[in-house]
Amino acid sequence: MSVAVKEKETILNFLDGDFGSVSNIPAIAGLNEKGAGNISEFPFPTRKDEDWRFTDLRSISRNHFVPVAEAGAESIGDISDYYLPEATNSRLVFVNGEYNPELSSTKDIPENVVVGNMAAYSDHDILETHLGKYTNYDEDQDVFAALNDANFKDGTFIYVPKETKVEAPIHILNVFTDAKKAFYATPRVLFVGEAYSKATIVEEHVALTQNEYLNVTVNEFKLFEGAHVHHARIQRDSKKANHISRPIAHLDKYAEYHSYTICLGAKLFRNDPRVVQNDEEVDFTIDGLVLIDGDQIADTHSAIDHRHWHAKSHQLHKVVVNDNAHSIFNGKIFVRKDSQKIDSFQENRNLLLSENGTVNTKPQLEIFSDDVLCSHGATIGHLNEDEVFYLHSRGLTKKKARELLVYAFTLESIETMEVESVHKLLLDEVVKYTSRDEEFVAVGK
Amino acid sequence: MLEIKNLHASVEGEDQEILKGVNLTINKGEIHAIMGPNGSGKSTLAKVVSGHPEYEITDGEILFEGEDITELDADERAHLGMFLAFQYPIEVPGITNRTLLRESYNTIARENGREELDPIEFDDYLKEKLDVIDMKDEFLERSINTGFSGGEKKKNEVFQMAVLNPKLAFMDETDSGLDIDALKIVSDGINKIAGPENAIVLITHYQRLLNYITPDYVHVMMGGKIVKSAGKELALELEDQGYEQLEKEFSLNGEAQ
Repeated sequence: MSVAVKEKETILNFLDGDFGSVSNIPAIAGLNEKGAGNISEFPFPTRKDEDWRFTDLRSISRNHFVPVAEAGAESIGDISDYYLPEATNSRLVFVNGEYNPELSSTKDIPENVVVGNMAAYSDHDILETHLGKYTNYDEDQDVFAALNDANFKDGTFIYVPKETKVEAPIHILNVFTDAKKAFYATPRVLFVGEAYSKATIVEEHVALTQNEYLNVTVNEFKLFEGAHVHHARIQRDSKKANHISRPIAHLDKYAEYHSYTICLGAKLFRNDPRVVQNDEEVDFTIDGLVLIDGDQIADTHSAIDHRHWHAKSHQLHKVVVNDNAHSIFNGKIFVRKDSQKIDSFQENRNLLLSENGTVNTKPQLEIFSDDVLCSHGATIGHLNEDEVFYLHSRGLTKKKARELLVYAFTLESIETMEVESVHKLLLDEVVKYTSRDEEFVAVGK
Repeated sequence: MLEIKNLHASVEGEDQEILKGVNLTINKGEIHAIMGPNGSGKSTLAKVVSGHPEYEITDGEILFEGEDITELDADERAHLGMFLAFQYPIEVPGITNRTLLRESYNTIARENGREELDPIEFDDYLKEKLDVIDMKDEFLERSINTGFSGGEKKKNEVFQMAVLNPKLAFMDETDSGLDIDALKIVSDGINKIAGPENAIVLITHYQRLLNYITPDYVHVMMGGKIVKSAGKELALELEDQGYEQLEKEFSLNGEAQ
């Protein structure tokens, strides 16, 4: 009798696709070819991999995804409800990963700035120089980044030249439509900000219906000296979708990068933000706010790499879990040898609203220098019943009291939104989340 | 206005009775003081009357304006016009005084068929009431009791009472821990609020507060019962003699029964 040795699975076990076709843009084609090779080799992660220990990937591995072209996807109708008034003419729309020029408008973008679909820039030096240069996912044998590499043809390309400010927020609107079959899409972003440039980006993922799909995104942000970026990321995917996200930022001297990821949708959301410090005196934020219920899984595995002197970093990751939802947080902070005067703040706060919700949290500091200030912490708690009673005794129903307390918990994260309409949108989303029809399940005393 | 008849109560799920037959009648326009040593059941009485879920009423009834309220939730009691000033006001980070009070005020107004106030009208109304406790506008913007000093927390309870204008307020040790200035402001505030249409019950350990607020009745609670009721002179008597004399009397009576 022989024991069958199970062959290692790759992501190709769970999806169809012809990865031989490559973009006619050389910079993209190179990545397409590299990715095609990698996806057939990199093993699909299992619970035995430390980075995937708590993450249930069955919503991918028990499914089968096809390319968008074979999915019978519905064509797009009027989506103006999703437009931001501040970004009426600074918006790129991607429908199921494909650029849609009719719904996009970049009239408000200054002439020397590039905001567009990278497939339209066949011989742009900046694109050639930077695309694919900042992702370091191959060394981790990252199957998802490889899939993005192999598959993307369209993508956001933003280039802000030296000492230029883009006044209007740039809205990257990724829309997902209903389809007959589960499909995969691979949105891609390259942002290059030259010295002392400034821009605000709102990256949004939104589903028009609650269908199944696999959304695999890779973002590369390169900030030269003194460049300044505010980056809001709003994830409102379908509650049946899988969204795997790889945003990475490389910061030169005096650069400031502040990103805020808001997770509301997706059955499975896995976000691995990385920030790499290339020089002294950088200042950055990778905050997160997660509001999940039902059987949603939201997993953040972040890595912050302090490599030089005088960095200031901030990571506040707030999570509200209801029903059977599951939140995972693993925040790695590295301080390399000889990178002194680092001021690093990390906190993961979790609020559990139900008996059956799960939270795994692991702050992870690796410090190899001595003159640093690193504070980190993680808390998990239920709503404080004394607080509930206090508000209740003032005439508020218990439901209203709990809503108000959850709202207050999230507010700190939402107030960081610079774009007014995004701020408003998130307040509405929080109200929607907290005032669901079903009663909150009261937990604890 | 309030009639408490033979009220027995214990902590939910435990056998030990804390209130062992409280009888108390309060009419509108009156100020009552309930005094007594630690552990006599004063605070429990306030919490039971306001509907705290931690306690279970095992016997007796509480009538508010003739209606039995023992089955009502705390918010429903607030809608009827009842208010509890907490002994230890809770800190609620992230929710401002203004947000809570507007939500409270308008909920109570709605429940009583009165007109709700829009944000601008409500702001004017709030600013008027700030005078009651001598606080500045910034007070409205602060998160409820978060980082407040002991005195500010107690002032905030009085401020909330002024804004919500209850018919009946139980004030649980609103005086404890206050310095002389804060005590004056708090008692001034309570005196301003007290009127012919409402009633106030001051729960206190010390006579100190009663130098500033003159009660119509003083009750002494011991062992979960009101053992003695009289006019304001009783408070002075207690100040002189302490509770020992009464305790002796009461325990003798207790044994004789």
